[in-house]
Amino acid sequence: MASVAPNLSAVRETMDVLLEISRLLNSGLDMESLSICVRLCEQGINPEALSSVIKELRKASDSLKTSENVGS
Amino acid sequence: MSHWNTFERDLEKDVKKLIKSVSGLQDENDVNFQLALKFTWSNFRFHRFLDVNSHKVQNTVDGIHEKLVVHSDMVKAETWKRITTEFLNSPLLSDGKTKTELHYSILSLLLFLSDSPSNSSYTERPRLKEPDSENYFDWGKYLLEGEEIILGPYPDTPVWSEDDDEVEEDSEPLSREDSGIQVDRTPLDDHDQAKRAVQVSWKVGEPDARTWLEQHVVTQYWTAKSSRFSHSLHLHSNLINVWEQHLYNIDPLYTPEEKVFVSETQVIRETLWLLSGVKKLFIFQVHDGKITVRNDVVVTHLTNNCLRSVLEHIAAYGQAVLRLQTFIDDVTGYSIECSLPVVHNGAKKASEPPFRTYQAFVWALYKYFSSFKQELTNIERCIIAKDETITLSAVLERLTPHLAQLKVLHKVFCTGVAEVPPDTPNVVRASHLLNTLYKAIIEYDSIGEASEQAVALLFLLWVETVRPYLEIVDEWIVHGNLFDPAKEFIIQRNKDVPVNHRDFWYATYTLYSVSETVENDEKLSDTASGSSASDQAASAASKQHTMVSFLKPVLKQIIMAGKSMQLLKNLENKESTQEQLSLRDAERKSLYTLFLESVQSRLRFGEESPTDIVTEQQATKRSLIKMQSIVARHLELDDVNDPLLAINFARLYLEQNDFHEKFTGEDIVFDRSSESVTCQTFELTLRSCLYPHIEKRYFECCGNLMQTLKKDYRLTEYLQAMRNYFLLEAGDTMYDFYTAIFDKVFEKESWQQLSFLSVQLQEAVGQRYPEDSTRLSVFLENVDPSKKKQPINNLDGLTLSYKVPWPVDIVISSECQKIYNQVFLLLLQIKWAKYSLDTLRFSELSAAVRRNEGGLFDQESAKEPIKQQIHRMFLLRVKLMHFVNSLHNYIMTRILHSTGLEFQHQVEEAKDLDQLIKIHYRYLSTIHDRCLLREKVSFVKDAIMKVLNLVLMFSSRWQAGFGAWKIESIDKMESDFKNCHMFLVTILNKAVCRGSFPHLESLALSLMAGFEQC
Repeated sequence: MASVAPNLSAVRETMDVLLEISRLLNSGLDMESLSICVRLCEQGINPEALSSVIKELRKASDSLKTSENVGS
Repeated sequence: MSHWNTFERDLEKDVKKLIKSVSGLQDENDVNFQLALKFTWSNFRFHRFLDVNSHKVQNTVDGIHEKLVVHSDMVKAETWKRITTEFLNSPLLSDGKTKTELHYSILSLLLFLSDSPSNSSYTERPRLKEPDSENYFDWGKYLLEGEEIILGPYPDTPVWSEDDDEVEEDSEPLSREDSGIQVDRTPLDDHDQAKRAVQVSWKVGEPDARTWLEQHVVTQYWTAKSSRFSHSLHLHSNLINVWEQHLYNIDPLYTPEEKVFVSETQVIRETLWLLSGVKKLFIFQVHDGKITVRNDVVVTHLTNNCLRSVLEHIAAYGQAVLRLQTFIDDVTGYSIECSLPVVHNGAKKASEPPFRTYQAFVWALYKYFSSFKQELTNIERCIIAKDETITLSAVLERLTPHLAQLKVLHKVFCTGVAEVPPDTPNVVRASHLLNTLYKAIIEYDSIGEASEQAVALLFLLWVETVRPYLEIVDEWIVHGNLFDPAKEFIIQRNKDVPVNHRDFWYATYTLYSVSETVENDEKLSDTASGSSASDQAASAASKQHTMVSFLKPVLKQIIMAGKSMQLLKNLENKESTQEQLSLRDAERKSLYTLFLESVQSRLRFGEESPTDIVTEQQATKRSLIKMQSIVARHLELDDVNDPLLAINFARLYLEQNDFHEKFTGEDIVFDRSSESVTCQTFELTLRSCLYPHIEKRYFECCGNLMQTLKKDYRLTEYLQAMRNYFLLEAGDTMYDFYTAIFDKVFEKESWQQLSFLSVQLQEAVGQRYPEDSTRLSVFLENVDPSKKKQPINNLDGLTLSYKVPWPVDIVISSECQKIYNQVFLLLLQIKWAKYSLDTLRFSELSAAVRRNEGGLFDQESAKEPIKQQIHRMFLLRVKLMHFVNSLHNYIMTRILHSTGLEFQHQVEEAKDLDQLIKIHYRYLSTIHDRCLLREKVSFVKDAIMKVLNLVLMFSSRWQAGFGAWKIESIDKMESDFKNCHMFLVTILNKAVCRGSFPHLESLALSLMAGFEQC
């Protein structure tokens, strides 16, 4: 555990940097989704595919919410 | 999915997480979620993109930097440059490598997602350097410190603070650091923060007031801003923190979720509220009728998953309560809405009549729930009193029997009510519900003592639910009135058939979803005209299921009694006064009351009669002595003589029997249901408590009806009349009628005139039975001329008709008259043949001979002497006469008379109208069979017809006189007759030898006797 810990902290730091980049780019990802994305990329998912999926999902959930609002 | 490896499973998990996080859909079973999942997978798997090119990414990064510079956003540009470089140079995985493909991948992802970075305002947040090492160190220290500190002042127990303090917790905000680890605070160190969290502005004037409030007001844990409360810092009550720490340590990408801390007492109270049907809760949430557990609720002494699994277990029960509660609300609310329009009868379409079976079921459920809620309230009261320690598991333990019952209830509800398609007619719903309950009782009953509680509960439900059915049955079999506005009873009245109609008995009631055997027996019209297609499908799929099984053994009796009663009411209408009826009705006990009383008395079985009203102790003593003597006797049988053993045995029995006190209360049903005695023999209970009442009523009704029909409506006399005219039992009357026709035929005059036939019939009948002359009439039906080739078929189409008045026409229907007419025609044909042979005179022939002596003598004498020919004619005539007479005797005496006697006997003994109708049908089919009119034995009938035909031809030739025909025709007739005769003898002998038709024996013997003499 002790040997892993410095690495972990380094990774965590990197993630913080990444979050900053994300914020700067206004990508709309929070820490949680950012870590999911990292994991997915790590597993070989193409970032372009991932980005298109995220965009589509956002669009779909937005329209779902507006339709719910209209409905209610 | 079994071929998936762990990698793919991980990937699937991550993809789901991604969807949840991006789209906000939490329910994996949601259609939208599934769609999103499918879409995501198809994108990942099948869309092809170029691999990430690190140079390209670098170029884009530089481009953005340049762009920011161009926008003269120097701070941003500088930050951008710095953090991207820093990112690329730091390790992203625990392997410590930098500038990997993953770096570029994630960077390019962000670039793809980027949304005009130059336009957005951005300020860099200061990042803490090495927060992790700090935290790492902090945790261990913190845990150690916490333990040491807290053990000093409160050394008692770690549970103590959890269970006793929670209601009076301090309200504190949940403080959180960026790293996601919350730091525990002692209750005393932050008064200011508490004010912020609770969002209630109060004046902290005096510390006393605030303390009082803290002690008496529950923390608003349900408000958006989660609050923190103090709790023990003992290791045991901080399991969640330890676990979080562990997770944080092993997974670099672990991000702690937002959490709301609650106390166990709060969880318990919410559980109790959930189970008592409250919908607006914090921990449990209702989405579209589904109860889910909030993800982010934690207690400090359990891990998230552990708490969640316990709560989900509870949520399942909450779900059951909610569904049952909704059902109860639906049914009761519905009836309230309905009550208004029902008052003024005009608007019947708008409101349906109340569905009483469901209402009764709901009433039973309601009764159960009120007791259940009482228990819940008791527990809550204990919590409020704080007299004893109450934990979630203790509450669950205490509720276990109730929860098991709830499970049973929900199961029954699901199969009995919820799974029924919405457009199912009420009758199917009601019978399905009753069946489900019935089956559930039997099912649980067979398990034995393990499910006593369940059986008791189900029995209570069943007894309540069955009430409308029994009331309908009662109303029907006592008043002859099938009152069922909601159409829920399995038998329904067809409105368009009036009682005084011929078809009343058959077509008035529709029995829904009957099982095959009943259908055949009853010959009821299962037209189901009012039922929809779905009903047909449902009943076809589970024909046995939709039938109300508990009524099955007595269904026939109920139907008989009901129909008989209605008929009887209609017949008696004019005679008996209404007052008498209502007077009698007031004293009468309803079927349901009788049933309850029987069940009650059955439970008291084994106890002495309740007549001796002595004090309780005396009674016990007496029964003890009595029991002792019984037991002692039993023991003696086994050669054991031990008085002590006997007494103990007796006491044991008495203990089992002493529940009679429980029945003294008003609510007998409820008490009884808790007794296992009933339940062990549920079917027996029904048999001894319900069926006898129905059967008794059945005997009364049907006996009355039979009596009325026979006495007041002269049923037997009409049956006799049918036999008189159609089966020619009134020999003299019918003789007058048919000889008139036969004479006409002889004289070669046309007899097929309705006026002539009617006059003859009226004359014949009017002399002896004047009352029948108006009812009886004769008809000539048009018969296909091609069938009239043979002289014997001349009579075809002649039919009698007897107008049978209502209600006797239920028994003697037009179908019956058709069979009567078939037999009548056969008899007429035999009579004709017999008559035409009988009326031949020897003198006619000899006179003809003398007349023709001159002309023909020479030619004929060459072949055969004329006297010999005449002799042959005589012989043939006698043979034919023997044949016809045998047949005539057989049919008139052996068949019609003896079968008629049997029939009369059966009619006397018939118990109900249906039986009578059946007896009548059986009688008709018997004589139809035995007169060889069945299609199967038509070859025998054909042979007989051929002989009869021969007879007619013979007689016409005889009458034409000798010489009017050639002598070869006698040869032909002789050989034809011989052939037919032989054929019949062989056939009949075979049949007799086989023994299948004993009644044919006499015919076979007499025919054989005639044949041997040939």
